[in-house]
Amino acid sequence: MSKLKPPISGQLEEEFKAQSPMMEVWSMFCRNITAMIGLVIVLIVLFAAIFGPTLYPGDPFEMVWAPFSRPGEEGYLLGTDYLGRDLTTLLVHGARVSILIGLSAALLTVLIGITVGAVAGYYKGWVEELLMRITEFFQVLPTLLFSMVIVALFGASLPMITFAIGVVSWPPVARVTRAEFLRIRELEYVTAARASGVSNFKIIFRTILPNALPPIIVQAALMVGSAILFEAGLSFLGLTDPNVVSWGQIIGSNRQYILDSSYTVTIPGLAIFITVLAISLVGDGLNDALNPKLRKR
Amino acid sequence: MSLSAENTPDNSTINHSTEPLLKVENLTVRFSVNRKGLFGKKEYLYAVDDVSFDLNRGETVGIVGESGSGKTTTALAIARLVNAHAGKVTMHGEDFLALEDEDLRRARARCQFIFQDPYSSLNPRLRAEAVVREPLDSLTTLSEAEKRESIDRLFAEVGLRHEQQRLFPHQFSGGQRQRIGIARALATRPDLIICDEPVSALDVAVQAQILNLLRKLQHDFGLTYLFISHDLGVVQHMCDKIAVMYMGKIVEYGDRLSLFNNPQHPYTKALLSAVPAVYRRRGESTERISIPGDPPDQITKPAGCRFANRCPMSMDVCTEDQPELTNITGSHRAACFLTQ
Repeated sequence: MSKLKPPISGQLEEEFKAQSPMMEVWSMFCRNITAMIGLVIVLIVLFAAIFGPTLYPGDPFEMVWAPFSRPGEEGYLLGTDYLGRDLTTLLVHGARVSILIGLSAALLTVLIGITVGAVAGYYKGWVEELLMRITEFFQVLPTLLFSMVIVALFGASLPMITFAIGVVSWPPVARVTRAEFLRIRELEYVTAARASGVSNFKIIFRTILPNALPPIIVQAALMVGSAILFEAGLSFLGLTDPNVVSWGQIIGSNRQYILDSSYTVTIPGLAIFITVLAISLVGDGLNDALNPKLRKR
Repeated sequence: MSLSAENTPDNSTINHSTEPLLKVENLTVRFSVNRKGLFGKKEYLYAVDDVSFDLNRGETVGIVGESGSGKTTTALAIARLVNAHAGKVTMHGEDFLALEDEDLRRARARCQFIFQDPYSSLNPRLRAEAVVREPLDSLTTLSEAEKRESIDRLFAEVGLRHEQQRLFPHQFSGGQRQRIGIARALATRPDLIICDEPVSALDVAVQAQILNLLRKLQHDFGLTYLFISHDLGVVQHMCDKIAVMYMGKIVEYGDRLSLFNNPQHPYTKALLSAVPAVYRRRGESTERISIPGDPPDQITKPAGCRFANRCPMSMDVCTEDQPELTNITGSHRAACFLTQ
């Protein structure tokens, strides 16, 4: 092929191949090995949460064998706990609850955080002043204590636990969103949108928000991890639906036997650790992929 | 081109020949500056102070001045993108500053804006066609097919290829991005386009292309430009009338020829002498009038002429009284005691 004159059609194809910003982020993410490892682990956990209960059917609370049988004994992969329940079944069923609460609490967090942060950052003035004081109020509350109070007062059902976690952990999202909005609202394309007669609502959610998303996505990903930890903490303390198994609850109920049969506590603990670590790796990977300043490194 | 007649039907029905398209009277924009913490006395920075000028249909008026002289703020205030503190902006005999909601929306369609920085004036998440579509969506009542059609036409008019509609802003060069910005400004077929330093972020070769495009569009569609720039060469190329601003005030106003050939205000003279020239006739004076120092603090307004502390020709009266903008010849006006 002649080097001097590349065929026109080839040139055009090149231009068309240039992908949308989202595709670019994805290819960037794929090049990050640790983030991909994290993503694979997250997918495995998700798989376990979705399909696990069909692979290990039956009531996880049912006694299947003698208590404290070591992992691998009698065909029970991870052994049995102090009530003779199969730890594998418990773990797989618990994954569902932990992931569900993690995701829905993070979603709630992001919804509250984005709304508060966006309105505060866009309108500024007394609106910002008021909303940020409210945010600070929630920020200075001891989070675990506050969510314990909510759960203790309104009952330990899954929706209430989700609500309790979401309502105490939105301030960081609100602050990040507000900071991004304060930066982006001064850019010329926002002024251009106003000159084009775009309404405030559309400017907030269609013009600024998509551009403010990268740090919020990262924050949200990390929020899933911390919500799982939060739920584990609450259920360890017994503030959970006693009819639903979750990782924190397994640890909590086996905690007296930590010295004799440490695996009953270690295994769900490892599950929490690995899942949260994997989510953090994905969050970090997203951060690198979404932050153009780090791209060239 | 026959398009211009089709697309601006109100031109023919309403006769504006005698009345200026845009009339700016005593426009003042101030920003509050808190100097002493939360409870300190509020102080104001007058970015634009008592600015008045007219803009006739089909004309280009340039505003020049150094950074911080208030030229961009003037433009933003006229376009209702910054709130004016006082003054009146009349467009089509309608007080533009008093409009709200639906009326403002309708009026915005007739006054569009081209921004300085083509890299930050396009939303990076929108494809080029979506950028141009934005004003059509919110300011017009065209049908989907009509919008499609006008986007195609706009891209052709600003010299972009049809396939480029699907690309994202970062895939364009600076000049091409500015063309998208121009297409967006043209979308609603406005009468007035405010160009805020449209070429100062571009390199010289591309500047010429964009300026020529703007002139061609003006010719084709009978556009009126308010052209903000700090580059006198660009202003000389583009503008019929020029206003020179210094610290929020117009210090000299005149048509291009008389202002360039016969500058009256010492500040204008200094600005003109600072324009670099490649070719100078032999023996022509190359003396530059230098104005030392910086503009004074804008918050504590001086009692006299704002240029007095840097003016090479300042007199006693300059620090005591403010010179008014007074006629010299025809429409040529200057605010200086030397000319009165």
